[in-house]
Amino acid sequence: MARKPQEDPQLDMTPMIDVVFELIIFFVVTIKPQDVFSRLNVNRPAPAQSSAEQTNDPVEEIQVGDHRRSDRKGVYVYNGKEYDIKTIKPILKKISDVSSDATIVVRCNGKSPHGALVDLLDICYEYKLMNVSVFSM
Amino acid sequence: MARKAQSNPQLDMTPMIDVVFELIIFFVVTLTESAKRDESITLADGKHGMVITAETLPMEHLQIDVAAFDKKGDGRKRLAKPRISISDREISLQDVYNLVVERKKRYGHEFPVLIRADERTPHEYIRHVMDKCTEAGIWKISFTAVAEDNTSEAKKR
Repeated sequence: MARKPQEDPQLDMTPMIDVVFELIIFFVVTIKPQDVFSRLNVNRPAPAQSSAEQTNDPVEEIQVGDHRRSDRKGVYVYNGKEYDIKTIKPILKKISDVSSDATIVVRCNGKSPHGALVDLLDICYEYKLMNVSVFSM
Repeated sequence: MARKAQSNPQLDMTPMIDVVFELIIFFVVTLTESAKRDESITLADGKHGMVITAETLPMEHLQIDVAAFDKKGDGRKRLAKPRISISDREISLQDVYNLVVERKKRYGHEFPVLIRADERTPHEYIRHVMDKCTEAGIWKISFTAVAEDNTSEAKKR
């Protein structure tokens, strides 16, 4: 019985290219762009934190209020005055200009939306205020 | 019996290519599977925070999802009680405590705890989760925010 020559020195690329294109199209269609996430670090008050640990760095307190009492998205109180997210920005810039080691104490109302806190933290990070403590009211 | 010529100078690549494709598909499918999370959460923007990548976030981190709504987009309903979950599996506050304690035993108190909460979650619920972490001995907590929004419809409110 005559044997066919087994070897085909030329590899046929056509089916492979077909499959590769098929795969490329599949992945381009199915993979959707992903959001990039960031993290904003805060400190919680330690129950045993003593006043002896306090340093000379200034401590500034900002309160996050209940937004439903006003028409704005976030309500912030600093030194007894009310601000929103746009007007609190220059305040934080001023704090950071005086001392970037300042500790920001954020007191959150239980009804305040989480987004209001995150917005404020984002501004703190913009001005390199990294010492942020979050207290809850 | 005549032996076939054993040495074959031309190596047949077809089975290898088949197997390589099989592996690529397997890994792509399993990798997308591992990134499970609560899809109903709309995050606030945090462009200036530390960007999360595989390098900046250690493997041992714990991300706790706190959802305020039943789904994303239009016609969503506010949940009576926010849903706390990890990898899209609902857990209780006591579970949060147990998980943090267990991780702390294994990795020390420096492992990152991330809270991925909907921007409209009332703070008191975040506080419950944070209090459980503090109780377990973790005082440094991170909030997850959106650094770069690539899914345009995600910001619909």
